[in-house]
Amino acid sequence: MGLDAVASPTGLVIGFVLGLIPLLVGWRYRQWKWGVIGWLVCLFSSFGCGLIGGLPVAVLATSLVISYAFATREDPYTSQASLDEVTFDETWQEYLLRQMAALGHGVRTSARMLARNKVGFIGFAGVMFFVLMSAFGPLFIEYEGEANFSRRQPGASSLFQPPSAEFPLGLDWQGRSVLSHIVYGGRTLILTSIQAGLIATVIAVALGSLAALLGGFVDQAISFLGNFVLTIPQFPLLLVLASLISFNSSLGLALLFAALNWPALMRAVRAQALSLRKRDYVEAAVALDLGLGHVIMREVFPNMVSYIAVNFIFSVRSAMYALVGLVVLGIVPLSEPDWGVMIFMGRQQGALFNPAAASMLLSPIIAIAVFQLSLVLFARSLEEIFNPRLRSGV
Amino acid sequence: MTSKPLIELRNVYRSFEVDGQHLPVLQDINLEIQPNEILCLVGESGCGKTTTGRIIAGLLPQSSGEVLVNGQPLSAYSRQQQAELRRSLQIVHQDPFASLNPAHTIGQILSYPLKRHRMVKGRAELRRRIWELLTLVDLTPPGDIVTKYPHQLSGGQRQRVSIARALTVNPKLIVADEAVSMVDVSIRIGLLKMLHRLREQLGLAIIFITHDLALAKYFAWEGRIAVMYLGRIVEIGPTPEVIAHPAHPYTRALLAAVPEADPEVTRHKQHLALRSEEIPRLSEIPQGCSFHPRCPFFLPGICDAKTPELLQPPNFIQLARCTPLNDQGTLIPYEPAQYR
Ligand SMILES: Nc1ncnc2c1ncn2[C@@H]1O[C@H](COP(=O)(O)OP(=O)(O)O)[C@@H](O)[C@H]1O
Ligand SMILES: [Mg+2]
Repeated sequence: MGLDAVASPTGLVIGFVLGLIPLLVGWRYRQWKWGVIGWLVCLFSSFGCGLIGGLPVAVLATSLVISYAFATREDPYTSQASLDEVTFDETWQEYLLRQMAALGHGVRTSARMLARNKVGFIGFAGVMFFVLMSAFGPLFIEYEGEANFSRRQPGASSLFQPPSAEFPLGLDWQGRSVLSHIVYGGRTLILTSIQAGLIATVIAVALGSLAALLGGFVDQAISFLGNFVLTIPQFPLLLVLASLISFNSSLGLALLFAALNWPALMRAVRAQALSLRKRDYVEAAVALDLGLGHVIMREVFPNMVSYIAVNFIFSVRSAMYALVGLVVLGIVPLSEPDWGVMIFMGRQQGALFNPAAASMLLSPIIAIAVFQLSLVLFARSLEEIFNPRLRSGV
Repeated sequence: MTSKPLIELRNVYRSFEVDGQHLPVLQDINLEIQPNEILCLVGESGCGKTTTGRIIAGLLPQSSGEVLVNGQPLSAYSRQQQAELRRSLQIVHQDPFASLNPAHTIGQILSYPLKRHRMVKGRAELRRRIWELLTLVDLTPPGDIVTKYPHQLSGGQRQRVSIARALTVNPKLIVADEAVSMVDVSIRIGLLKMLHRLREQLGLAIIFITHDLALAKYFAWEGRIAVMYLGRIVEIGPTPEVIAHPAHPYTRALLAAVPEADPEVTRHKQHLALRSEEIPRLSEIPQGCSFHPRCPFFLPGICDAKTPELLQPPNFIQLARCTPLNDQGTLIPYEPAQYR
């Protein structure tokens, strides 16, 4: 994934240009407020994540502007008219606008759902905090990679220092600012965990629903494979693999975690799909000959999305734990900056027995714990956002 | 009843394996359904009505026997023809709360089959067709309904959506499985009238499944009734005949238990007491006639020995599955003392 989130001037230019889309659309439909907000959001996200961050945001912002412009417009399809009073002909521009308005409406509903669940919103804010910190922190805080012996306090036996006004999180064993490592050290870890969670979820959902819906031999084969992987003791395997393969790409690591992680979720998805499969509406879809693809994607999947989203979050969590665990055990090659490496090195350098080093050791631990907690809380919101009943309800 | 039957079941048998035991859920089912016909399947819950309906709709294979569609088994047709014939047989489920996917709006639910089978060209026509279907099932104004989710509709409205969804593929036959038993009584008549209208308007055949003989009588007056008991059809014939002159003891008992609108009539109606209220389990279906342990006209030595055939008894128009009736044309009440 090319998500090398770094704030860059190029991003700013991209954001400026992309932001013009919602701005101009807002001008066209007299939705100034939302046009300007859209422009700012585009600017911001492109600045942080480049084109990859900016483009989807530009689309969403534009759809939001259009949805506000369309709020008062009457679509014959949803009008009170009777059959012989209406025509449904429309140009493709009208069609496009309608689709965009529907998308924008969805965005608004999701935002409302997100704001409604307070606990989930706290989780969302926490996750956003870490994302923003990783993306924009480097603008304000310089990374300290080199040892800094000049900071040694007179009479001190090590370079460790507790928090001070100059160094809010103290100094590490080489006299470097802990804060700079916290800011820079989360990105790879978070991205790798998300990749691992994403891959595991895709595998699990695909195999789980196929197993449930096709049944028979396919089901047996997939279940066997899943059970087989489940019985492998994962951590020892990782230890062994680590000595054979060098984990130098984060994608490789993500794939490995995903390969070990999918069976649990696959079994859950399979069970869920098995119960959904028996529903009358699935039988109706079969009678209407809508095809296996339709049954999986349209009948079964939408009723599992909230469940899958929550499980995606949990597999991101477990990938992160495993990743940190491997680093702390010193199994994957250490490359700074990284929260896990901080824990590992701190322990090696005697931070456990040095009160001045407490902050250096605790900072990454707290960062990881808070991020994980935010994920779990956010999962609650996801559950609601993807629940069609709650979405359409009052 | 001259044209080729739309669908024909011949000696259909179906069993389910439960806990290693083969339960015979359907036995000796012989049925034919003509185009535009109404056939009512009546019987107590668990007697195999839904299973019959699912076999007819092609959703469940029979264990043995034959299902002929337009005179031939499905396997005799090409793949494409098979798909088309299957599609021409639709089912409307009993539970309006389970038969519509909660994740889609009504507009989406109706659009999928229309798009998949290219029933319409282009977006405007798709929307028009959805409106037409909703109007056809009396859900007006359609604009109010298309964006609703199933849980925002009442049971009766959902059932109408279910019917509209079945109609998207222009079926020839609709199996309505207890389609009105879960909606409020006040709404039932409206739904039934609508089904009648659709049958006339679209030339549909309807298989109406119900456990309520009064409902069957009302709905299938111009059609036929098939009474089922423990997986077998025990009586089948034109509705007015079956209602006015029931042949099989089971049908007589059912009819005697139907309350009439006039309380005086109901009170003076002759009650036909069964010898047992208990319905035997499928795992231990009685020998001979499966109804004999409950039958008020039980004839020892015959009913518990020989499985009766579905035949036309003397002086009756319908067919019944009762040996004494078929042999002698009359039934004698069972007097246990006589044999003690
Ligand atoms: N898939 C199945 N597996 C096992 N038993 C079943 C299955 N479907 C139906 N049965 C059994 O078959 C019998 C008839 O069921 P059904 O056709 O639903 O009856 P009805 O619709 O008349 O109430 C019941 O005893 C039921 O338990
Ligand atoms: Mg049933």
